[in-house]
Amino acid sequence: MTAKESLALITETMNNNRKEITRRGGKYFVLWGILLTFFSLLVYCLWKTTGHAEWNNLWFALPIIGCPLARWIRAKEGSERTGNTVSRVISGIWATFGVFACSSALFTIIFTKCNPNPIATIAAGVSMTALIVLLFGMAETITGVALKNWAIKIAGFVTGIGGVALYYIIGEKGGFEEQMFLFTLSGIVLVATGLIVRHQNR
Amino acid sequence: MFPKLDPVLHSELRLAVMSLLAGVESADFTYIKQQTGATSGNLSVQIDKLSAAGYITVEKGFKGKKPCTTCAITEAGMEAFRSYIEALKEYIST
Repeated sequence: MTAKESLALITETMNNNRKEITRRGGKYFVLWGILLTFFSLLVYCLWKTTGHAEWNNLWFALPIIGCPLARWIRAKEGSERTGNTVSRVISGIWATFGVFACSSALFTIIFTKCNPNPIATIAAGVSMTALIVLLFGMAETITGVALKNWAIKIAGFVTGIGGVALYYIIGEKGGFEEQMFLFTLSGIVLVATGLIVRHQNR
Repeated sequence: MFPKLDPVLHSELRLAVMSLLAGVESADFTYIKQQTGATSGNLSVQIDKLSAAGYITVEKGFKGKKPCTTCAITEAGMEAFRSYIEALKEYIST
């Protein structure tokens, strides 16, 4: 091998490896996106049919189903520790989002159980939805920055700002349909992100 | 005077394995095989050579019931890889 050929081989191997790892990461976006969309529609249907907001507790089943599924996929493809800096940063961002979202939801449930005022309960629900969607938008935008992808950055910005807009537009009126619409949209955005990542790194 | 190229690294497959491992925490045998396009036998021999030079660590274990070999680059391996690239750059620039 000449020096040029050696350098070319190093560059090519490193690039292919980086692409493969990022491409595999796209699978998890698709998985979480499908789950988020499914749960949004499920909670929406049950809430609308019965009129009980308690169906929102179903959201806690999302990580309970999603985490083992993601671990199973990782084990199946044997990539538990095959990660690079970008994939680790992205995993960190979404793990942080998950912890923040679940904690906020828990605090809201505790708050609403302690406060018998129905208006305060609705307001807490709306602000929690807005907060989660805002966090989601931020995580998505930072993912776009890490992957240097404008489509993901814009999708994250639009979804995140959608959360803030929701808070000001529907305020204390409730509007569970708008809330569920935003969650469904977030799920679709996640699936699209996964597909973009996979396509970009083919 | 050109710097001497490390003979352990100056082989197509060993260099590919090192380039791959330089970018990840660790990688299993199947992944390395997939990415380098090498045959199991050849890859196994080259991994042993890199391991004997102290450039990579090889951990043999089981994933469920299947045997699994995981490789990771060592500090010495990373240093040798960096020096090798520097040497290549000198060759090219002159």
